[in-house]
Amino acid sequence: MSLPDPSLPERIDEAQAPRSLALEDWLTVLSMAALALITFANVLVRYFTDSSFAWTEEFSIFLMVVLALVGGSAAVSRDRHIRIEYFSSSGSKRRQRFLALLGALMVAALFALMAVLSVRLVWDDFRYGETSPGIGVPQWWYSVWFPLLTALIAARAMGLFWRIKRRTHASSPA
Amino acid sequence: MIAGLLFAAFAALMLAGVPVGAALGLAGAVAIAVANQQTQWFGLLAVPQNFYAGLGKYPLLAIPMFVLVGAIFDRSGVAARLVNLAVAIVGRGAGMLPLVAIGVAMFLGGISGSGPATAAAIGGVMLLAMQRAGYPPAYSASVVAAAASTDILIPPSVAFIVYSVLVPGASVPALFAAGVVPGLLAGLALAIPTVWLARRHRMGAREAAMPRPALWQSFREAIWGLAAPVVILGGMRAGWFTPTEAAVVAVFYGLFVGMVVHRTIGVRDLFPILREAGELSAVILLVVSLAAIFAFSLSTLGVIDPITNAIVSSGLGENMVLALLILLLIVLGMFLDGISIFLIFVPLMMPILRHYQWDPVWFGVILTLNVAIGQFTPPMAVNLMVSSRIAGVRMEETTGWVLWLVAAMCVAMLCVIVWPQLALWLPQRLGY
Repeated sequence: MSLPDPSLPERIDEAQAPRSLALEDWLTVLSMAALALITFANVLVRYFTDSSFAWTEEFSIFLMVVLALVGGSAAVSRDRHIRIEYFSSSGSKRRQRFLALLGALMVAALFALMAVLSVRLVWDDFRYGETSPGIGVPQWWYSVWFPLLTALIAARAMGLFWRIKRRTHASSPA
Repeated sequence: MIAGLLFAAFAALMLAGVPVGAALGLAGAVAIAVANQQTQWFGLLAVPQNFYAGLGKYPLLAIPMFVLVGAIFDRSGVAARLVNLAVAIVGRGAGMLPLVAIGVAMFLGGISGSGPATAAAIGGVMLLAMQRAGYPPAYSASVVAAAASTDILIPPSVAFIVYSVLVPGASVPALFAAGVVPGLLAGLALAIPTVWLARRHRMGAREAAMPRPALWQSFREAIWGLAAPVVILGGMRAGWFTPTEAAVVAVFYGLFVGMVVHRTIGVRDLFPILREAGELSAVILLVVSLAAIFAFSLSTLGVIDPITNAIVSSGLGENMVLALLILLLIVLGMFLDGISIFLIFVPLMMPILRHYQWDPVWFGVILTLNVAIGQFTPPMAVNLMVSSRIAGVRMEETTGWVLWLVAAMCVAMLCVIVWPQLALWLPQRLGY
């Protein structure tokens, strides 16, 4: 499957890199490690005791959602999402800059929309006292992270937008 | 009308270089809003709902785990030892090193699940050695990129996992088994023009003078790598693990080999490995879940059936429709990445598939072969991008070489289309 290669140099050079992605990076690493450990523990427990803790499935899915959102947030900031660069990396500097700004803005728009709309979903979970199907904890414990993390992605996309704007201002001749 | 808007918006956004996932999500959201103008909030609550539903699927967990396997084996030092062993077996001679690159790439395909990761692993080990032996870097980069693309056919494969999430009738084990023979066939098809080109252009003249590693010793050093696919695929076959669990077992096996046996991974390397694998997985998972928004608006607009009917009743006949679909896929594969092809076209093609009663597993293999070819067909070719960068050549320089390999792999695909049993024999034999 076509994937961006992890060893690619970042499209944005160090000077323009976001100040710190420590929050996203740590959450990415922790959720990735937790997913591997939980699943591995599941194999071991089933192998040795003939019983499984199926309830972990729900938590693993939650961790995977967190992973997708925080990892996605870091990838937005590093401008590493899969996109067709055939047109956006050719042509005049003006066009390249315009398309880069457009891309960042569109990502911000989509995730801001989702952050706003999902507040309503969390409110419904809370209002109707929904509980999770597996463990039976209140559903909003899980869903409350959704608007927060999508808002984080929108914010990172805006950060990218401003960095591109500033970079090209600084480098273009007056 | 709205369906036209959906596709036009998606195509325009994507060509403008907006990330594919965002283009899918936004086009879907706009189409939903236009279609539901009377409803409260324009029916947009479906956007986060479908995003969450598209992401919250347990089988998708296999993706981050297999990406992690690739990231770990990438640094475990297994690739270099496998290359040594392969050289010890086939010996030295013109065209032998490229042959080794293909063989080892296919073998690594049995451990990791994504092409570019293998291209990086093989490229890092082979490209310099091939240059020293007198192969032109553009040729070597082409061979490595093409060889790495067999990775998504040879199980385990992230592509098959995504396909199986989209197509309920095709299970992961069945797809994995179905990919084995076509994957080997593709590797064989690549080997022929590779060696032929090397002989014709008298490359690798210095290779014969290079030392041949001792067979027994290289075998002993490579044994840990050799055992990895046995653990992964054998464990799944024996019913010990699900695909996700097999990936996790491979993660810990790879860590053990890298940290304890070969000592190429230190504790400090764990953070970057997990971070890179996590970020890469997040990129894939976000495209998958944002495509759910697109798919939702596609299905509620009710455009799939009319399109299917138009195609089916066009009087083209089954083989003609198949030929046109493949042609479309090859063209799209040149520009689009594999995940997007799967996510956009599998829902569209399912009704056609059902109408002609094509086997979903066989079709998944054809689709994946297409994506594999797209991974090294310029101008958009992830594997070729990775290997050219490592080889230090521009991607345009590889075109003259890589087109031979594209043609060879197209022949392999044609074989699987004409003889579906090439894909379906093994899963039937294994009883999936």
